[in-house]
Amino acid sequence: MLKHVKHYISVGAYSLRMSFARQLEYPSFLICWVIGNPLNYMMGVWMIGVITQRFQALNGWTYPQIAFLYGISLLSHSLSVLLFIQTWGIERMVIRGSFDRFLVRPVGVFFQFCIDYINLIGFTDMIPGVIIFVYGSSVVNFEWTFFNTIKILLVLVGATLIRGATYTILGSVAFWTKSSRSLISMVHALFERTTYYPLSIYPTVIQVIFTFLLPFGFISFYPACEFLGQDSGFDFPLEFALWTPVVGVILEIIAVSIFNRGLKKYESAGS
Amino acid sequence: MVMIDVQNLRKDFIVSKKKKGLRGAFVDLIKPEKEIFHAVDDISFQLEKGEIVGYLGPNGAGKSTTVKIMCGILQPTSGSVMINGLSPAANRKEVVSKLGVVFGQRTQLFWDLRLGESFELLKRIYRIDDNLYQTNLKLMDDVLQINEIIDKPVRQLSLGQRMRGDLVASMLHSPEILFLDEPTIGLDVEAKYSIRKFIKEINQNFGTTVILTTHDLDDVEQLCSRIIIINHGKIIEDGPLEMLIDRIAPYRYLIVDFYKLPEEINHPEIEVMKKENTRVWLRFEKNKTSAAKLISDLSLRYQIRDLSVEETKIEDVVRQVYKS
Ligand SMILES: Nc1ncnc2c1ncn2[C@@H]1O[C@H](COP(=O)(O)OP(=O)(O)O)[C@@H](O)[C@H]1O
Ligand SMILES: [Mg+2]
Repeated sequence: MLKHVKHYISVGAYSLRMSFARQLEYPSFLICWVIGNPLNYMMGVWMIGVITQRFQALNGWTYPQIAFLYGISLLSHSLSVLLFIQTWGIERMVIRGSFDRFLVRPVGVFFQFCIDYINLIGFTDMIPGVIIFVYGSSVVNFEWTFFNTIKILLVLVGATLIRGATYTILGSVAFWTKSSRSLISMVHALFERTTYYPLSIYPTVIQVIFTFLLPFGFISFYPACEFLGQDSGFDFPLEFALWTPVVGVILEIIAVSIFNRGLKKYESAGS
Repeated sequence: MVMIDVQNLRKDFIVSKKKKGLRGAFVDLIKPEKEIFHAVDDISFQLEKGEIVGYLGPNGAGKSTTVKIMCGILQPTSGSVMINGLSPAANRKEVVSKLGVVFGQRTQLFWDLRLGESFELLKRIYRIDDNLYQTNLKLMDDVLQINEIIDKPVRQLSLGQRMRGDLVASMLHSPEILFLDEPTIGLDVEAKYSIRKFIKEINQNFGTTVILTTHDLDDVEQLCSRIIIINHGKIIEDGPLEMLIDRIAPYRYLIVDFYKLPEEINHPEIEVMKKENTRVWLRFEKNKTSAAKLISDLSLRYQIRDLSVEETKIEDVVRQVYKS
């Protein structure tokens, strides 16, 4: 087991090094993202500020509270971009037969696939994520006790897995249908709508859907409710800091098994 | 020892037939027409350890598909493949750790990085220890001059250099079986020569079993003790090259240059194939007579300026097999 973990770490670390080297070969491309992405999200949170100050609090959420929620969401988004961005392109890779290379090597295919191109763009989303989260947590007087820190970390891991697993499941549809790009775009929009604002502003039906069917509420809304003492609308046993990683891990297990099933349908490309 | 055991292997692809025009596009949307295509159609063969086998067939015959099933990329529709007693479908990681794979039409190297980086990653993937890694690199440098190019970015390599890189990449972990799918495609004479030499050496030194797909029959002639020919997904020939030639075209050619072209060449064992100025191509069956006897017969009757003996071109043999 330990040998196994060591093997994966050494492959992972070297792939990481290689992805950085590959991306630094084309710096102009990166610079666009370094400027554009933080600007995009800072403006997003600014807009919410303007709206809440003009039109009062959103459903009982003050601006700093929303910034706190927005911060958790954006941090998990940036982590999921770092680790799972490859899943956005499964369609292209299925059509081009790009999985051949991973399949002939004695390391897990999903692992090789994710690690093959760790995306620096993830870091450009992380910068505004950190700024907004630090701002939100200090204005709402979030207490950085040992347990709270652990909880925040668990929530971030879980939220990242929920996002990554969702991308993986939808992306894997391409193994059967040869297309999944539009599903990925759709879920991007859904993430934007459901994780940067309190879910409680939507009608109950929507809240039910995004809790039990597509559990995006666990990405930022439910954990933020608990940390901030806001009403979540649903009563769950146990703490959300636990629910988020549990949902994340279960979803990820489902996602990887769907991906592996998809690989059995993979047809490579003529050569 | 049987290294590869392929039994009744089939692979079907489902292809949708596209109709023409806007109307056709609508019809396709509502009721797509699917068709089953048998890319590999009931193939069986066994390979012994240390064999070099030429896997031949015209374009689209199903060669690459067979290779992809054998190395675990594709799942067979039915039938089985056993590599050293294990199925690549069920024990992928264990099986592929003993395989080397090269697809000539597609590189496995990282385009933007120096060649050596790809090797370093493979060293970690296959858990190759430092000693073996250095030994193998050194060995391959002797035949493929890999050190000349190891620090260049892959995108700057010529086709031949890149293929050398891909071959080294496939052999770093000393695999027991090497699958080479068109490794000499588009290469110049020099590059082909060094690749053939490489295949010969690893086969002799390590007993590596090699399956070679190629359209270059010189590759086959120089390397393969056995050939398997497939067409439309079915095996049509399987055996040593000489046997195939003996059966299908047991001929040799005597090319004679006369001082003066004779009106007619009458000899029971000779068939005139072609005439050009004073030169004549004569065909004879090699197990019925010998070149020496024919030359002496001819020189009694005619004045010969020059002559040479030619073997049957394996190209002609293979073309004939494809046609049948
Ligand atoms: N992924 C695929 N989907 C549909 N048809 C395929 C696919 N791969 C190969 N084929 C078809 O199967 C046949 C055999 O292909 P291949 O094994 O690549 O032939 P070759 O002998 O030239 O290597 C061809 O007709 C090809 O069009
Ligand atoms: Mg082919």
